[in-house]
Amino acid sequence: MIAVAIVATAAALAVALWFERARVRAVRQVDQMAASLRDDVGVRSDSMNSALDRLERAAQDRATAPQVDAAEARRYRASLSSITLGVVLVDQEGRRVFDNPYAAAFLAGRHGDAVVGDTVDQLTTEALVSGATAVQEVQLFGPPRKTLHVIANPIVDGDQHLGVVVLIDDVTEQERLDAIRRDFVANISHELRTPIGAISLLAETLADEPDPAVASSLANRLSSEAHRLTGTIDDLLQLSRIEHGADDDFVPVVIQQVIARAVDRVRAAADQRDVEIGVQLPERELVVRGDDLQLTSAIANLVDNGIKYTNAAEGVLSVRARDAGEHIEIVVQDNGIGIPPKDRDRIFERFYRVDRGRSRSSGGTGLGLAIVRHVLVNHGGRISVDSTEGDGTTFTIELPALGGVQDQPEPTLPEASNRPEPHRKPKGGQS
Amino acid sequence: MSELLRKNFHDELEAIKHGIVRMAGRVSEAIPRGTEAFLSADLNGAQALIEDDDILDAMSIELEERCYEVLALQQPMAGDLRAIMTALWLNAEIERSGDLMSNIAKTTRRVYGTDIDPRVRGLLMRMSEEAARLFRLSIDAYIEGDTGLAAALDDMDDRLDELNAETILAVFEAHREREIELNVGVQLALVCRYYERIGDHAVNIGERVRYMVDGWMPEQDGAARAASRREPNIGVFDLDTDG
Repeated sequence: MIAVAIVATAAALAVALWFERARVRAVRQVDQMAASLRDDVGVRSDSMNSALDRLERAAQDRATAPQVDAAEARRYRASLSSITLGVVLVDQEGRRVFDNPYAAAFLAGRHGDAVVGDTVDQLTTEALVSGATAVQEVQLFGPPRKTLHVIANPIVDGDQHLGVVVLIDDVTEQERLDAIRRDFVANISHELRTPIGAISLLAETLADEPDPAVASSLANRLSSEAHRLTGTIDDLLQLSRIEHGADDDFVPVVIQQVIARAVDRVRAAADQRDVEIGVQLPERELVVRGDDLQLTSAIANLVDNGIKYTNAAEGVLSVRARDAGEHIEIVVQDNGIGIPPKDRDRIFERFYRVDRGRSRSSGGTGLGLAIVRHVLVNHGGRISVDSTEGDGTTFTIELPALGGVQDQPEPTLPEASNRPEPHRKPKGGQS
Repeated sequence: MSELLRKNFHDELEAIKHGIVRMAGRVSEAIPRGTEAFLSADLNGAQALIEDDDILDAMSIELEERCYEVLALQQPMAGDLRAIMTALWLNAEIERSGDLMSNIAKTTRRVYGTDIDPRVRGLLMRMSEEAARLFRLSIDAYIEGDTGLAAALDDMDDRLDELNAETILAVFEAHREREIELNVGVQLALVCRYYERIGDHAVNIGERVRYMVDGWMPEQDGAARAASRREPNIGVFDLDTDG
C-alpha cells in the first residue's frame, strides 16, 4: 500500500511538473511566433499589426500568470529531488523528460548501477507497450550489496496515455530484516523441534523395548537429546537476561582473569578435539568496567566456537589481549574452515547456522555468537570478524578500557558511579 | 560538418560509450554473482546467469552494428575514430568476459553434489574479488580516460596470476589428499583459468584505453624491436640522436 501511495504521489508530482514545463514552453513559442510574424510582415498592415499586438500581449499575460505556477513547479522539482527514491519521467515517445538526482546517479552510473539504468529502460518500454505496470527486483552484488525495486507505472489521463513514471526504491535494509525474521522462525523451529521429535520417537521405542541393553542405549540417547534441548533453553534465557541487563552492577574486571576462566571452561572440549589453545596476555593488568560472568561467558563462547570449527588435524587456537589505548583488544583466532563472505554479517544472529548440516555434529545451540554480541553491546564494546575460507577466522573484540589497576589503584572511585553511562553506548560496527 | 550533424555525431559517440558502460556493468555484477552461485551450488542462480549472458550477446551485436553505422555514415577521424575503434575492441573484451562467467555458471552444474575443500573455496573467492576489482578499474579507466590507471592494470594483474598459481596448487593438493575427484579437480582448475582470463581481458581494456586517449598501442614496442632487428643501425642512430 505504501508503495502504491508513493507511486501515486510521485506520478502526480511528476505529471504536474511535466504539464507546467509544457505550458511554459508553449507560451514562449507563441511569443516567438508573434515576434517573428511582425518582423516578416513589417508595418504594411495596421490591422495585422494590431492583431499581432494583441497576440503578443496575450502571450505576455500568460507568461506572467504562470510565474506563480512556475514557483509551484520549482517546489515540485525540489520535492522530487529531495526524496531518497529515484523518480524518472518518460513521455509517450519514450523520451526521458525528468529524473531526480537519486535516479540520475543510477542512470549515469557505472558498474552495477549501470544495470539499474538498463532495467529502467527495459521496464519503461514494457509499460509503454502494454499500458500496464512493470516491476522488477534488481539484486546488485556490489560491493556493497543492494536490493532495488524498479517500478514503471503508466501515466493515464482519461483515455490519454501521457507516458510512464519509473520509481527506483532501495529496499536493501527491509530485505535484510525480512531475511533475519524469516530465518529466525525457521531456525528456532529446527533447533527446538529436532530434539523434541527425537525424544518423542525414542520414548515410543523405549516403551516397547524388551531388551534391557537396547533400552539402556535408548535411554542414554533420550537423555542426550533432553540435555541438548535444555542447553538451548538455558542459552535463550541467558540471552534474555543479557538483553535486559543493566550496568548498575558493573565493577572493574581484570581481562586476564576473564580469559583464564573462559579458557578453563572450554579446556575439556579442546582436549577432546585435540585443539591446542595458545594464550598470550600482557603482564600489566587490563581492566574494563563490566559484568565478570557475562564477559567470561562471551569469551568462552568465542573460544568454544573456535574449537568446534578449527582444523581437527592441526588445530591451533590463539587467544590474545592487549592494551590498545582507549580500549582493550581481545583477539580469538583459529585456523579452521573459515566463514563464507555471504554469511559473515549474519553469524551473530540467533540460531543462524553457516552450515546447518554440520550443526548437530558440532553441537552447540546456535546462540553462542548472539550472546557474545549482546554482551559487547551491554559493555559499550564491539566485535569484528575477519575470515577466509580454508584459512581460519579471527574475531576481534574491543572493550572500553578503564585503565590498569597499577595506574588506578582505586578503580571503584566514587566518580565512576556518577559517569553518564558510557558503557551502554555501542561504538558501532557489528550490531 | 554542420552544427546539427556534429551534435548528432557526438550524441552517437556518447550513446556508444554508454552502451559499453552498461555491458561492462552486467559483467561487473556477473563476477560476484556467478562466484556465489558456484560456491553455494545454486543451480537456479547459475541458470539465470547463463540466460543473462544471452542478453549481453544481444547488446554486443547491437553495439557493434551501431559502431559500423557510425563509421560508414560519419567517417570519423583522429580521436573520434580511435573512440569508435576502442568501443569495438572493448565490446569484444567485455562480451568474452561475460562468456567466461557463463562458463563458471556451467561448471556449477558439472561439480554439483561435490564438496569443495574450504581452502580452495577461499582462494576461488579471492580470485573472484581480484578479477572483479581489475575489471571495474579497467572500466573506470575507460570512462575517465585515465591512461595512468590503464597502464597500471598490467602490473595489478600479477596478483591475480599469483592467486591462480596458488589455487591450482591447492586443487592438486586436495586431489592428492583424496578430498576431490580428478574430474572435479580439472573443473576447478578451469574455473581458476576463467578468472585469470578475466584479469587478462581487463589488462587488454586498459591497453585499448591508452590507444583511445593517446594513440599508444601495445604492439608498438614489439614492432619497434622488429624494425630495429631488421635495420639495427637505424635503431642505434635513433637512440643516439635522442640521447
